[in-house]
Amino acid sequence: MAKPAVIIVGADKGGVGKTTVARTLLDYFGAHQTPTRAFDTEAPRGTLKRFHPDVTEVVDVTLIPDQMKIFDTLGSAQAKVTVIDVRAGLLSSTLQALSDIGFLDSAKKGQITFAVFHILGPSIASLQEIAETARFVGDASYFLVKNHINETSFFEWDPATYNHYFKQIKGAEEITIPKLNEMACEQVELSSVPYVSFVANKNAKGAPANNSFVLRGYVRHWLGNVWAEYDRVKLIDLVAPKMESDIPQAAS
Amino acid sequence: MSFRHSITIVASPRQRVGKTLVARLLTDFHRHEGRPVTAFDLNSGEGTLAQFLPEYTKVSEIGDIKGQMALFDRLIADDGATKIVDLGHQAFESFVTVASQIGFVTEARRRGIAPAILFVITPDRTSVEAYRGLHSRLPQAVLSPLLNEMLGSAQHRDKYPTKGSGAALVRLPALAPGLRRYIDQPPFSFSDTRLANARDIPLDVHIELQRWLRKIYLEFRELDLRILLADLQSSIRL
Repeated sequence: MAKPAVIIVGADKGGVGKTTVARTLLDYFGAHQTPTRAFDTEAPRGTLKRFHPDVTEVVDVTLIPDQMKIFDTLGSAQAKVTVIDVRAGLLSSTLQALSDIGFLDSAKKGQITFAVFHILGPSIASLQEIAETARFVGDASYFLVKNHINETSFFEWDPATYNHYFKQIKGAEEITIPKLNEMACEQVELSSVPYVSFVANKNAKGAPANNSFVLRGYVRHWLGNVWAEYDRVKLIDLVAPKMESDIPQAAS
Repeated sequence: MSFRHSITIVASPRQRVGKTLVARLLTDFHRHEGRPVTAFDLNSGEGTLAQFLPEYTKVSEIGDIKGQMALFDRLIADDGATKIVDLGHQAFESFVTVASQIGFVTEARRRGIAPAILFVITPDRTSVEAYRGLHSRLPQAVLSPLLNEMLGSAQHRDKYPTKGSGAALVRLPALAPGLRRYIDQPPFSFSDTRLANARDIPLDVHIELQRWLRKIYLEFRELDLRILLADLQSSIRL
């Protein structure tokens, strides 16, 4: 039995595309047949829930009952992977809460796989938050995500400043989410379906939809690039390591 | 893949090599065979397909996403029409990029259409490389080199290997000297039955034109049959 994995997707600012990243993660694990559940902390109404209603629950991470709902069920839930979309500005406080309930200690002991996707925003504040969060996540897999999906302008950061913050987290890896054509992006939003459903031309109920082939093609191409990034950082090996028996024995 | 669902793209990264003439001939060929045809014109300027065959041609754009949707969504639409694309040299690169990104050929094949690219071959390096690029960027397309005999010798044809089942070298026979001016004034349709009367085309010119047309139509028909046959063979093997 593989150990449960928790992935936190967060940012200090809204509008940097946290939910986009969470959605691509759910699609990615779905494509790898890894049972996944998600928590959306944008209480009372969650964006993530709109796109993935079957696996998503809306919670308030600052409340103890909701924390119980997430963390007490880690071992018993069917889903091996738990994705938590943390509301804007709550990343540090969520990590603080996790530290308080001893979750980070379990992660440290290796009982739980813990990963943080920190979505970077356009301002310097988000870099300062790297420093803030760094102290919590010593043993987590830390991914800094540059999200180009809505083409913000922060990629002209001074590399020296950026590296200064980046290096504060040992073993942090960078993930780049490429740009997706605005109109394609908008169509997916309007359809309120997971990216994979949009590509497969299905509506929320699984019935055939009538999406433009060109837009579907752009989304497929884009999603392929995003997944290639996840492949590159070996995300699936991280959350669902192969069983020993699956590894072919080398003849000695 | 049946005749009714073919897509033929006439392409070259060069200008003035006869792409529009080939597209005109193809459009008229399919009309002559009694099929509904929609042609898409990705050219700007004078003497475009849209000027020659306005009734059958849609002026298309590849630059923005709306244009791309109008073009590609329409191309793979199951409306029973044969589709021709006159891919102007300026649009060549964007067309191939978009087509390969959105998986155009794969999607078309899934819908029972085998897109064929008729590439007008010339000896220059740009063309040879663009052709080679098509091999890797649109690997599932039927890639047929087209030799325009009006452009001179064919020593470079070895540089243009065919690709995909059914692909073959297509020849556009040279038009007898002096005839060109009769067909170069838009609008003009080769399948116009009143050609001889309406255009003041002398009878001997008309006969020569028909002879030339028959030759090129034969080439087109053969290519269509080859693609169809290749497809039948592959479905029998399954």
